[in-house]
Amino acid sequence: MPRYQHRFTAMGGPCQIQIDSHSEDQILAAAQAAEAEVRRLDAKYSNYRSDSFTQQINDSAGRGHAIDIDEETSALLNYADTLWQQSEGLFDLTAGVLNQAWDFKSNALPQNKVLDELLPLVGWHQLKLTDTSLELPSVGMYLDFGGLVKEYASDRAAQRLIEHGCSHSLVELAGDICVCGPQEDGIEWPIGIRHPTSPSQALADIQLAAGALASSGDYERGMTIDGKRYGHILHPKTGWPVEGLASVSIVAEQCLVAGSLATVALLKPEQEAMDWLQSLGMPWLAVNQNLQVFGSLSDQ
Amino acid sequence: MSRSRPDKHPTLLALTSSAMMLPGYQQAQAESPPTDGTVGLRLSSYQEDDITASKAFNGPSERYDIDIAQFHLLAPVGDDWTLALDVSYEDMSGASPWFVGMDADGSAKVVMSGASIEDQRTAISVTTRYYYDRGNVAFNYARSDENDYKSDAIGLDASFNSKDNLTTWSAAISGSKDDIEPTQGQTPTNTLKDEKDIRFAWVGVTRIVSRRAILRFGLSYTYREGFLTDPYKLNDRRPDQRKEWVLSAGWRQHFVGANGSLHADYRYFDDDWGIKSHAIDLAWHQTVNQHLRVVPFVRYYSQSQADFFANFVDFSADYYADDYRLSAFGAWSGGLRGIVSLDDWQVTLSGERYVSKASWSLDEGEESPGLVKYWRYTVGFDYRF
Amino acid sequence: MRPLLIALCLFLSACESVQPWERGSLAREDMQWDTDRMDSALRKQTQYSKEAATGGGGAAGGGCGCN
Repeated sequence: MPRYQHRFTAMGGPCQIQIDSHSEDQILAAAQAAEAEVRRLDAKYSNYRSDSFTQQINDSAGRGHAIDIDEETSALLNYADTLWQQSEGLFDLTAGVLNQAWDFKSNALPQNKVLDELLPLVGWHQLKLTDTSLELPSVGMYLDFGGLVKEYASDRAAQRLIEHGCSHSLVELAGDICVCGPQEDGIEWPIGIRHPTSPSQALADIQLAAGALASSGDYERGMTIDGKRYGHILHPKTGWPVEGLASVSIVAEQCLVAGSLATVALLKPEQEAMDWLQSLGMPWLAVNQNLQVFGSLSDQ
Repeated sequence: MSRSRPDKHPTLLALTSSAMMLPGYQQAQAESPPTDGTVGLRLSSYQEDDITASKAFNGPSERYDIDIAQFHLLAPVGDDWTLALDVSYEDMSGASPWFVGMDADGSAKVVMSGASIEDQRTAISVTTRYYYDRGNVAFNYARSDENDYKSDAIGLDASFNSKDNLTTWSAAISGSKDDIEPTQGQTPTNTLKDEKDIRFAWVGVTRIVSRRAILRFGLSYTYREGFLTDPYKLNDRRPDQRKEWVLSAGWRQHFVGANGSLHADYRYFDDDWGIKSHAIDLAWHQTVNQHLRVVPFVRYYSQSQADFFANFVDFSADYYADDYRLSAFGAWSGGLRGIVSLDDWQVTLSGERYVSKASWSLDEGEESPGLVKYWRYTVGFDYRF
Repeated sequence: MRPLLIALCLFLSACESVQPWERGSLAREDMQWDTDRMDSALRKQTQYSKEAATGGGGAAGGGCGCN
């Protein structure tokens, strides 16, 4: 049976779709629909596009009125709310504003005054959220869907593949992977979890026939000053980089759930994060700042 | 791979149920009907071995030959329904045992029905199946037509998956109403016109036991009432009721290294005519390459005799029969199936041999001279659309 | 009947949990209960017409004059 590979760039990274199928028509229709879904969500929730819905929301901040939101956005915000509660405030869609204080290319720490001005703008609980509307109360507040939308888009793209009858396929959006059925011969897809610092090397090999693998890492951006590393994952309550794990990968049924669990784990102190990951009961893999590997996926 | 405990972490539960509110997520979990339709054809030849001179009075005799054509169509209808149509046509000819008599040295021999019996059977079955989030439910209507026999049946079956999709509960009920009108003229018949009713109920549970194995159990009850006697056999008078219980178990295991799967099935049968039976089916599905699968299979069957079975029947008893199918016997059968797949096409070839003997039964009993041996060959074509 | 039910419950609770992403082999065509509907229908009907015991795997169809 032929295997079809479709590559494209979206969500700030390389994406690919793989489909085992006899039917070329089915493959093309499915791959197109999946890519279109990814591009739709990229356009809708991007923080880097002036015409995105996220931009409209953020432009309305502090104007004293609420903005209408559609069902999809409402469901995503509702999910973000659950995540905020479950992570005891660690995962906060409004925390992106803190990045303004940090310039990792400058190799300089931010002034406390700048952080003090930004911290009041962080706070999910300040939002006035209903099923159909959202209000950001203060000027300067803004939402960053970056921590959710790539994983959500992976799930949605996978749903398109299934709708087109591709029951032997997978979709990968810059490291987040959703699997729709095994390979054609019934064998699970072999998936390598990349090493944080040498991406060509696999930390672990896993087999998936369904479900999703999502990873979150602190190694992509950061700076070292006086021998101390400052990563780009910021604690929403202090505005300072967290000193936790370097990278976390989780397998779950939905990519969205896997990704948000991995993100929350990164926001916790190292030992607490690993205890918490263990208690979740999902397959996991973590790498600490010394590049030591832990987790249920590491002994395979 | 780590195992998730049955009590999921509250955070995981909260996030998963919150994700289920997102558009499309619920659907991905649902049991979905097949997206492709299939159409298939099978042409089979069934040939019973001649009965030898040592077992029959009128010398060696031909037995049954049947040519069978089967057609199957499965088509998705909308997003949640499928429609299946099954049609089969059988052309039967040959002779069958009429009665058992005693020859000069006291052993049992059959007398075959004289002239060749010719009959055709046409069967049609229509099934509509509806898929919902956690399973599916189907309604079936089936009709079978022969010169001397007509049957109408309706059935309902449903399955329900557990929340983790590890366990599936299933149930089915069906009923049929059959009319018997034996062809007159060749041999005297036991009735001119009669009928029987069949009621059937079944429950089953299927369980995923490991990432490579799945197991199921089933329990069924069948109640037959009406004219259960064979209309064409001379020495045949059976009760007008029969209650049957069946317990079954099935196992499927995949072996990654061998690229093959084992199918094992066991069935225990018990009825109020005194018949107890065991049947074991084994098949090995070997994937040779992406185009070829080979399936050797073997089956062992054993039954005890019915309370009222005898080669030389006692006509003063309430019930009696010398039908070999009610005697104690065991049977071995086995064969080979080859499946060739090319794109959306599939060609199947299979051959099977069936041999039966009284001494192979797990139970004691008189050997009937009428026991059967046969060959069966099938060629089949399937197309996916 | 009761020991049977107890055995069944024990069996169901003793099985390991298999996650959806571990079920690739189970989805294979050669792991289905019935890999060839028409072939098994014909075998069942042939056996039904030559043997006293019948039934087993799931829903029953209509009758025929062969038994």
